[in-house]
Parts: sequence; structure tokens; C-alpha cells
Amino acid sequence: MATSPVPASERPPVASVGVLGWLRQNLFSSVGNTLLTIVSAAFLFLAGRSILTWAVTQANWGAVTGNLEVLTWGRYPEGQVWRLGLSVLILAVLGGLTWWLWRRGPESPARRSLLVGWALSPVALAVLIRGITLPTPATISNNLGYYLFRPEVLPLLEENWRAGAACIVVGLLGGITWSYLTNRTHFLGLAACSLMLLFLLPLGLQMEPWLFGLNVPIIVPLAVNILLAFLIGSAVGRSLSSIEGLRRWLPWIWGVTLILVVILLTTFDVGVARVAPVQALPIIPPNIWSGIMLTLMLAVVSIVASFPIGVLLALGRRSELPVVRGFCILFIELVRGVPLITILFMAQVMLPLFLPLELTIDRGVRAMAGMTLFTAAYLAEIVRGGLQAVRHEQVEAARALGLSEVLVTVLIVLPQALRAVIPPIMGQFVSIFKDTSLVAIVGLLDLLAVGQSVIKQREYLGAVREIYLFAGLFYFVVSYAMSLASRHLEVQLGVVDS
Amino acid sequence: MSDPIILCQDVHKWFGNFQALKGISMEVQKGEVIVIFGPSGSGKSTFIRTINRLEEHQKGTIIVDGIELTHDVRNIAAIRSEIGMVFQQFNLFPHLSVLQNVTLAPIWVRKWPKEKAEQVAHDLLERVGIPEQAEKYPGQLSGGQQQRVAIARALAMQPKIMLFDEPTSALDPEMIKEVLDVMIELAKSGMTMLVVTHEMGFARAVADRMYFFDDGLVIESGTPDAVFKNPQEDRTKLFLSQILTH
Repeated sequence: MATSPVPASERPPVASVGVLGWLRQNLFSSVGNTLLTIVSAAFLFLAGRSILTWAVTQANWGAVTGNLEVLTWGRYPEGQVWRLGLSVLILAVLGGLTWWLWRRGPESPARRSLLVGWALSPVALAVLIRGITLPTPATISNNLGYYLFRPEVLPLLEENWRAGAACIVVGLLGGITWSYLTNRTHFLGLAACSLMLLFLLPLGLQMEPWLFGLNVPIIVPLAVNILLAFLIGSAVGRSLSSIEGLRRWLPWIWGVTLILVVILLTTFDVGVARVAPVQALPIIPPNIWSGIMLTLMLAVVSIVASFPIGVLLALGRRSELPVVRGFCILFIELVRGVPLITILFMAQVMLPLFLPLELTIDRGVRAMAGMTLFTAAYLAEIVRGGLQAVRHEQVEAARALGLSEVLVTVLIVLPQALRAVIPPIMGQFVSIFKDTSLVAIVGLLDLLAVGQSVIKQREYLGAVREIYLFAGLFYFVVSYAMSLASRHLEVQLGVVDS
Repeated sequence: MSDPIILCQDVHKWFGNFQALKGISMEVQKGEVIVIFGPSGSGKSTFIRTINRLEEHQKGTIIVDGIELTHDVRNIAAIRSEIGMVFQQFNLFPHLSVLQNVTLAPIWVRKWPKEKAEQVAHDLLERVGIPEQAEKYPGQLSGGQQQRVAIARALAMQPKIMLFDEPTSALDPEMIKEVLDVMIELAKSGMTMLVVTHEMGFARAVADRMYFFDDGLVIESGTPDAVFKNPQEDRTKLFLSQILTH
């Protein structure tokens, strides 16, 4: 580095400041440096000129501009594209409000409602983009009637999985209520489960092959479902017992669950045309999503869903319960030992083996699940690294204050651990975003796959460079935005670093 | 004499095969200030850490404020919220501001409304002499200031007992006084305190009794006057001469 001599007068010499000074310091500080500058400049000029000439005079940008809609949302029905636009708008409004409130000051009541908005947004966007079928009072009463008066039809319709799923939901919440509440009302948890079984009794008396091909009344697997869920729920409820606020929410959660269970039990097609459910928003299943929209949805879903799973896996791996720890280690090591492509294939081929026959999961959802689990396993190891970086004295200090183990983890350990590993976490997110291009292999049409089919159109034959450049630019812009966001987050939190 | 607020009988503690505590018994009355001193590795820190169950004792009984320390999680939680602790390395939470450090436990454990917790926190920061630092982060404070925040954080839970584990050992000499002043004021306000320290000036000023630990045992105990002027055991004499001469 060339250092400018101490100036005799007050003003520094011309050559040490401004554009000239910068040039001299950074490009022409020595003979070698000057030579390098000249050679690189020549190379940049030559390469840049030919690329520019190609881009301006020869490239057929029509391949991109003419197919912009196909590349962006592909097979998403033309008349429903407004739903995508609305989703983007919702996200933009939420993001803008967040940014605005962040700037205004640390504390404001509006923040809480914004957080609720963010928390609800995944469900709202999923409904908006995928669509929803709403039962009408007529379908509800008709279909509920089937459970009571025509239970023999349900096995024929292959719809008993709904009863099983409803049992799990009620069992979980019943278990939580049972162990969370300490007064006499905790019996309501048990009562709800019994009521559920009682309601399903007519259906439950039907015989059906179960484990080992044994013919048992359906009520047996249903009871097993509800019992297992109840046990898990009561374990969860015990660990939540230190959180006071749940008490107020419990009735609301039960209310929402009731609606959920009714929807779960009743939105099946019984072949009665007059009581068909209403397609409030026509269902557009993920396996026909395509283009940039699919790429983004895959990335967003696997990022948002993998984060909590990854954190839980990391905590589980450090757990003192051998079963939990063993399961987490097994899961993490298995998933990390297998390439993403294999997991995507397995999600398509193997998943149906574990699920009831009648429950077919959409190909797109399976790809999302595969990518989520893959990312979660890697995140778990990153987060574990962060957890190890938190000094044990922090845990002791928090315990000495009387905080419960859950609060110690949530308030003291996790915030410090996650802050330490923002860069690798963001790296993992960028990597899974780029890996979405692998789903083409299992028959999904992401941006790259759509691009490849565009090239095969007759009028754009040979427009390979244009399409790949466009795709490359898209991946770069999003990845770079993510790493900018990560750096911004680091700076925001870095201020508080000790 | 009323019931002691801390009652330890024959407390034993092993780390693997190493025996750190070899049968410690101690009774502390409400409002007493106890100073524990002794060479490093003598088990004095381990002992006060068993009182709020940061270390589990394997033999003997510890009864704090009428509650016996057992494996019962509820007992441990109840005892911990009655005992404040100050550590050698301060152990403030670096990701939280000073105010948040102090209000954390009252809000989450005592379930106080935020306004009340912050009011109490401001009063405590005033009491320890750093009201102007509330919005700063621990990393921006000097060691002495951090330790005073740590004392305020422990006091915010309105504990009946305060444990100090070598509170001045990690401090630069010029900062020791500001922390000791706070501790002396606290002792004079009637707080029950167990202090592991080698600050013999502090002991002389406010201690009611002193315990000399060595090799996991209480070698000698008594009033500061008795221990300083007329130590009975040779080991106590030797140790006192070593720390008082320089």
C-alpha cells in the first residue's frame, strides 16, 4: 500500500484523496499492481464487449419476454393468477409494516398484532394459493349423519382415515388439557376424548383388517390413536405448565379444534350431488404448480418448515432422555448420509408405504416434505454448534434466577445460539433454494424445467443462452438478496454483541 | 433461637470419584452474614452452589426456608426463586439490555406486569449506583458495573437469601470497592448472605460468622474477631497469614 507523505500544509496532497487518491491506492500502488490492473482491464473489456454485442444484437430475448408468464407461474390457471398476486401483496404489506415499525422504535403495541399477522400468514397463504373447499351446513349434517346412521358406507368410501386423524387431534389436545390444567376442569380433556370415541362408535363397530391382517372393529385402531395422542399430549402439557397465558387461550384452541374436526370429518364426497361442498377457492394442487412460483414455494416452505424442526432436532440431540436423543441422532445422521436427490425419490416412492392406502399425498407436497426434512437435518447440526457455543455459566445464571428448563432454553440459550450461527443457517437456506432445481427429476416443473421446455418450442429453438441466463440471473438475485438480509440481520443483532 | 433459614446437615458431594464435600453442617439464621473462605479447591464454591441446587448433593440434608431440597422439580424451583446468586464471572445475559437482564426473572417467574418489573428494576439500578446504564448492553459496561447489575438482577426477585460466589475475584482492583460498597449496604439492610470471598476487610466489617474451608471440610468457624485474633487451627493460621500479609 502506498502511503502518502505527511503534508506540509493543512491540505493533503491532491493525489491522496478523492478519485485520484482511490485509484492510486487501490489500482496503481506498485508496478506489479499496475500491470495487473492493465491486464484485467483488457480482459474485462474484451469479454464484456463480446457479451454485450451478443446481448444487444444477436440474442433472441423473445424467448424470455414471450414466455414470461409460463416461466413465472406456468400451469397455474390463468383466471386464478390474481391469487398469486394477492399473496405477494400480503407479503409486501407485512414486510413493509415490519420495516416501518422496526425503524420507529423498539416498543409499540402494533408490533404484537404484526407478529400475529406473520404467524397466521403461512396458513392464509397456503389456503389462498392452494385453494379451499368449505363444507356447507347441508354437507356437514349430511356427512356427520353418515357416521351415525350409515357407518357401513364409510369403509367402502375409504374415508375412515378422517376418523383416525380426528382422533389424533382430539387426543393431543385432550392430553394437553389433562396435564396442563390443575383444577377439576382438567377432566374435560378426558371427557372430550371419550365423547369422540362415543360418537365414532357406530363406525367403530365395523370390522376391518388391521395389523397383521387381523380383522378387528375399527374402534380399536381409533382408540389406539386417541390413547397414543393423549399420552403425547399430556407430556407436552406438563412441559407447558410454566406458561401461564395458555390458560386463557385453551377454550379458543378447543373452539378452533372443534371446527377443524368437523371439517376433517365431513369434507368427503359421498356421491350426493345436491349436497356437494362449496369450492370457495378452486383447489390448485401443488403438483401442477410450476415455474418461478414453484421454485419459490418449494424454497419458502422448506425454509419456514425446516427451521423449527431443525431447532427441535438440535435440542433433542442434546436431550438427557436416551430415546429422544437416539431418535434425533438416527434421523440427523440418516438424512445427512443420503443425497438430496435420493431423499426426493424416496419421498415419491417410499412415503406411500408408510401412509394409509387411501391417503394419497400430492407429488409437490411430497417434494416439499423431502426438502424440509433434508434441510432440517443440516440445520440441526448447525444449531447444535451454536448451542455448544453458549457457555454453561449462562444456563446456571438463568437457573439460579428460578427460570424453568423450558424458559432457560427459550429465553437464554436459543437466542444466543441462533445469533452465533446466522451465517451458516443462511448459507443452508441459500443452498436449499438453489437445490429446488432438483425437483425436475421427480417430474415437477420448476423454473429450470419450464425453461428447458421453452427451449423446445419451435420459434425459440436454440435460445438456450437466453433462458439459462435468465434463470441464472433469477437464482443470483434471490440468493444475493438472502445473503444481504443475513448480513443486515447480523448487523442489527451485532450491535448488542458483547 | 428461631428456626434457621438455611439448615445443612452432613452434606456430601462427589464429582465422579473425587469427593468435593466431606460432610458440611451449617445453620444460618435470618439476617446473618456468613463469610466462607479457604484455599482454592476446598469446596467452598461447591458448597454454596448446592444450596440452590446448581450442584446436587448426594448425601445429607439441606433445608432452605422450610423446604427440603430433593429431586422434586417444584421444590427446586421454589427454593431458587427465594435465593439470589451472584457469580464470579457476572454471567449477565449478553443478548439482553441491562434493564431486560434485571426484569427477566420477575416477569417470567414472578409473573409481574412489565411496568412493575421495570419500576423495581430502575429502583434497584439506582440502589447499586448505575441508573443511567439501563438501556446499555452488558458488553458496554466495566466489570464493576456488570457485577453491580448482576446484584440488581438477583435482588429483583426479592430473594430472602443472597449467595455470592467470589464476587470480586474477577475484578480490577479499582472496581472491587464499588462492588463491596453495594454488598456492605445490602448486609446492613438485613439481608441473609452467604459470601465466598477473600476480602477480609469486608468480613471484618459486616460478617456475623466466618467459616474456614479446606479439603471439603469446615476446619474452623466463629465470629470474625475470634477467627482473626485467635484462630485455633494451624491451617487457619497459615492461610490467614498468607492472605493478610500481602
